[in-house]
Amino acid sequence: MAKGDKGKVVQIIGTVVDVAFEQNNLPQIFHALELENEGKRLVLEVEQHVGNSWARCLALGPTEGLARGVEVTDTGAPVSVPVGKHSLGRLFNVIGEPIDDGDPIDKDAIKWPIHRKAPDFDQQSGSVEVLETGIKVLDLITPFAKGGKIGAYGGAGVGKTVIITELIRNIAQEHSGVSVFAGVGERSREGNDLYHEMQDYGVLDSTALVFGQMNEPPGTRARIALTGLTMAEYFRDEEKQDVLLFVDNIYRYILAGMEVSALLGRMPSAVGYQPTLATEMGDLEERITTTVNGSITSFQAVYVPADDYTDPGIVTTFGHLDANVSLDRALAAQFLFPAVDPLASNSRIMEPGIVGEDHYNAARGVQQVLQRYKDLQDVIAILGIDELSEEDQIIVGRARKIQRFLTQPFYVGEVFTGIPGKYVPVTETVKGFLEIIDGKHDDLPEQAFYMVGGIEEAVAKAEEMKKQIEK
Amino acid sequence: MPSTKELRARIRSVSNTSKVTGAMQLIAASKMRKAQDQVMQGKKYSQTLYKLLMNLSSSVDEEKENIPLLENRVIKNKLMILITPERGLAGALVGNINKKALEVIKSSNEKYTILSVGKKGYRFLNSRGHDIVEQLIIPDRPELSDTIKISEIAIKGFLDKKWDQVDLLYSEFFNTTSQVPKSQVILPILTPDSTNSIESKDYIYEPSAYDVLKDITPKYVRAQIFQSILESFASEHSARMVAMQNATDNANELIGDLTLDLNKARQETITAELLDLIGGIAALEGK
Repeated sequence: MAKGDKGKVVQIIGTVVDVAFEQNNLPQIFHALELENEGKRLVLEVEQHVGNSWARCLALGPTEGLARGVEVTDTGAPVSVPVGKHSLGRLFNVIGEPIDDGDPIDKDAIKWPIHRKAPDFDQQSGSVEVLETGIKVLDLITPFAKGGKIGAYGGAGVGKTVIITELIRNIAQEHSGVSVFAGVGERSREGNDLYHEMQDYGVLDSTALVFGQMNEPPGTRARIALTGLTMAEYFRDEEKQDVLLFVDNIYRYILAGMEVSALLGRMPSAVGYQPTLATEMGDLEERITTTVNGSITSFQAVYVPADDYTDPGIVTTFGHLDANVSLDRALAAQFLFPAVDPLASNSRIMEPGIVGEDHYNAARGVQQVLQRYKDLQDVIAILGIDELSEEDQIIVGRARKIQRFLTQPFYVGEVFTGIPGKYVPVTETVKGFLEIIDGKHDDLPEQAFYMVGGIEEAVAKAEEMKKQIEK
Repeated sequence: MPSTKELRARIRSVSNTSKVTGAMQLIAASKMRKAQDQVMQGKKYSQTLYKLLMNLSSSVDEEKENIPLLENRVIKNKLMILITPERGLAGALVGNINKKALEVIKSSNEKYTILSVGKKGYRFLNSRGHDIVEQLIIPDRPELSDTIKISEIAIKGFLDKKWDQVDLLYSEFFNTTSQVPKSQVILPILTPDSTNSIESKDYIYEPSAYDVLKDITPKYVRAQIFQSILESFASEHSARMVAMQNATDNANELIGDLTLDLNKARQETITAELLDLIGGIAALEGK
């Protein structure tokens, strides 16, 4: 029960470790235990009391080489990580140790435990302010609310991480406050790239980064999001700031919970998920919220296993988010990047009263045209485009132009595409799409709309294409 | 991933489509054969007639201008006889003819009046606000008598100087896979100058070459129009047969793809259910 109590390792099942304590000395749930494994400090987190004064713990580090009988010390508190100014510009692991080869963290740095309560109802705030991203398809179809939660859904390799990094570039750079990035179970290389990119953009000094990537054991991946979130919460609650929180990838959090669930002795539920799926998700997501003190605007990448949007893990996350950005493999296969599916994506604030009449009409118009095109796709596949009525042919033409105009060169994609990135203000975006829907650009070739910024660029590109043909 | 139920419904709808297109293909094929025979026979006739006309006109030099249908006037108004199919589902055929018609109208300095044969062309030009003098319908397997009305309107208007040139726009039939929209001037009848006439045989005409030529010109116009109608029909049925064949192939391919998806989805559901069961049993046994 108290700091300094000693116990002994009695059972090790992969990443789950059972520790026996003396009668009445059992540490509390979620408290951290320490032990020394092959000369390194290993932290365990108590998950269950299983009887016989045994505490079932999750290892927040590798358990290779661990043996029964090793002495374990109760730290008397949950895992606590440095927050505040000491966390900015630094790179941390799940237990709050710097991993950027920099100076050790100050002894008197404020530390917060990573398990916290979600803000009460009366603390939550409800004002709505649109946040411009400079990415056409996102601004048009899924306008982001300041202090909202945004999810980017997609299967493997359709561009979730690229969208998140572009958002970091576009928003974090403009944003005056602090940002927190949590890398959860993704490629370690990406974490490294991001660190250096942030240095290049000059936003590193106002950013805290935490990483528990796919090379780490499930215990780490199941807690790293909480580590990042705790840092964000401090800025919101104590320094009353507006914070940006990027999480890539939230699904790995679920997956890590699933990996340890059976080891902790829980019966698997539908599709092998942990029975506590919704609880775990709620524990995390309910903390990411905007309060009267400050806001946390969060951008979360969500991996969709096997492109199956009905997967229980995905369904559970949907409900928590304000804006859902769905990435579609079929679009990525056509090189229409960002591969956002405008028909499957939505935002809570897509209302005329919030985004404005024009914006609403443009977004709904775009969706109508695309939906019609989708309905006609079978007819086109069987009978060919010539069999469509004239009006439908015009709609198909516009839909294909819209599809191309929804693409955009990214700053972070410049190395791949060779096209410099474009930032398009939301007014430009709305104007462009309204013009296409109204048929003002029916005579331009659809290729002119591919990978451009505003509508003027598309017109200029069409002009150039015409000149080249004439040559 | 769509559910197996959705996939089954789609497969059913696509296979119904494929049945319809398959039937239409067979019908078009049988109509096509007859129409092609008619074209081939008509071609010989109109070619012979053309040769005769050339011959005649080279024999009649000085009085040619007096034959009304040969009169070259200053062109103020034009008539276009636009021949299109009654029905769609013939691939790019209708679109190509209409596109060509629009092109001809736009590139002309004089105003066109339209005489439309077939609904497709009528709708297309009518919606664009062109002046349509009459809309005629020709039955399947046309006879010469069915087309007389067209030539009468054309000739009468030409003689009354309502229009000074009559164009024929139709789909020229080459073979089953190739039909090209063709624009042709039929009035005034263009006759080459006598000097470069290709084969000039020395016939003796009774009562005179001039009288024969005068009588034969309206017949020639009628034959031309009839032939173009025949060609249009042959083109239509050929194009429809090819289009429906492609459609049936595409539909069958789509059914194949969808069936593959269906089987995958079905197996995935079974696997997932099995896994849930086995997992549940294993977990219960462990207790």
